[in-house]
Amino acid sequence: MRDHEAIQELLAGYVLRSLSGDDASEADRILSEHVPGCDECRATLDAFQAIAGELALDAPVVEPPDTLRARLRRELEPRASSRWNTGRIVAVAASVVVVVGVGAVALTRGGGGLANGQLARADLQDVATTAVNPSATRQPLGEATEISSPATEKLYIYGTDVPLPAPGSVYRLWAGSPEQPRYIGDFLPTDDGTLLLEVMLPASSVGALFVTVEPAGSPPGQPGEVVWGTAA
Amino acid sequence: MRDGDREDLELHRRLTSGDRGAFDDLYRRYAGPAYGLAVRVTGQQILAQDVVHDAFLALWRAPEAYDPARGPFRTFFLALVHHRAVDLVRRESRLRARSERAANLEPLVGEDPADAIAEESYLGVRRKEVREALATLPPEQRQVLEMAYFGGKTQVQISDELGIPLGTVKTRTFAAMRKLRAALEDTG
Repeated sequence: MRDHEAIQELLAGYVLRSLSGDDASEADRILSEHVPGCDECRATLDAFQAIAGELALDAPVVEPPDTLRARLRRELEPRASSRWNTGRIVAVAASVVVVVGVGAVALTRGGGGLANGQLARADLQDVATTAVNPSATRQPLGEATEISSPATEKLYIYGTDVPLPAPGSVYRLWAGSPEQPRYIGDFLPTDDGTLLLEVMLPASSVGALFVTVEPAGSPPGQPGEVVWGTAA
Repeated sequence: MRDGDREDLELHRRLTSGDRGAFDDLYRRYAGPAYGLAVRVTGQQILAQDVVHDAFLALWRAPEAYDPARGPFRTFFLALVHHRAVDLVRRESRLRARSERAANLEPLVGEDPADAIAEESYLGVRRKEVREALATLPPEQRQVLEMAYFGGKTQVQISDELGIPLGTVKTRTFAAMRKLRAALEDTG
């Protein structure tokens, strides 16, 4: 175990969003394995998170255009009713297409969602809750974004304007590397390019992700050409 | 706890009940600082609007993400805006020409009367304390802190740009954060 000084040095970089590569992975590990049980590091993390908020005050105040407020007003769905079951939000969530099973081209829109036990249509509320957590990590995955949080151990993939692969093809999600791939599942965006997926594995066990385009219904043998990869 | 922090707590409590009035009040209070931060980090007004829009919408949809036991609402929300801005910058970096940054950023600084109004608020008091704390940092520590925070750069990128070892970037960042912690906890 690294000493507290080294851990807290890593936490300083973490709250500033300035870690990458091995340091980012190490921070994720520390946040899930060490910090929850260490009062000193938890206090340091909270204090550093607060500084990350306070530093914002050094930027000049700039009032956003009125159009921004109007845009927000239009999108504030009533909280009293089932906020995740109405309007555009649900349209996004329910229209995600996940390929069901391996070797099959059965597609499901809305209701179903499970692919092969490791990839599912995500619940938008879960994604939103994870995404707003200050400990959440986002990183580009090709045309989409990978969102994970050491606090929840969940991993989501979200995207808009994701292009459809060539007809007769699907996107195939893998963990690991092309040399040592671990198949997770197949998926397609909706016709409007929306992706909302949950990887049904602990985020800490997944590691790097990459995506290939494969013939629909093909068995998950060796991955083809990588089209999306998690940034190093 | 300061009066402003107490007011934020009450607004947040109302927000968790779906109170749009509380949302409007929080928007009035934080839209300017959030947008100013997002403009500074992203360097583009359009991107900054997306950042602030997404942050407020996320707040409305999942207000329970803020845990009052972990600090003031102000720091939670502005850290959220910062994280989103940095994430967006990294995502958009392929498309962003650095020259646009200066072109978009400079005319905005100091031009908006909201700056003066905000100075009269409790946020203005805290802003003064933050700037005073930053001013106490040695230049080399402040430089790496600002490159990371406002420049959205990774420690590896900072190391490359400054031509200094990665370990030095980490050490300076940590030292800066510890000094700011001591200074701001004293005044917070």
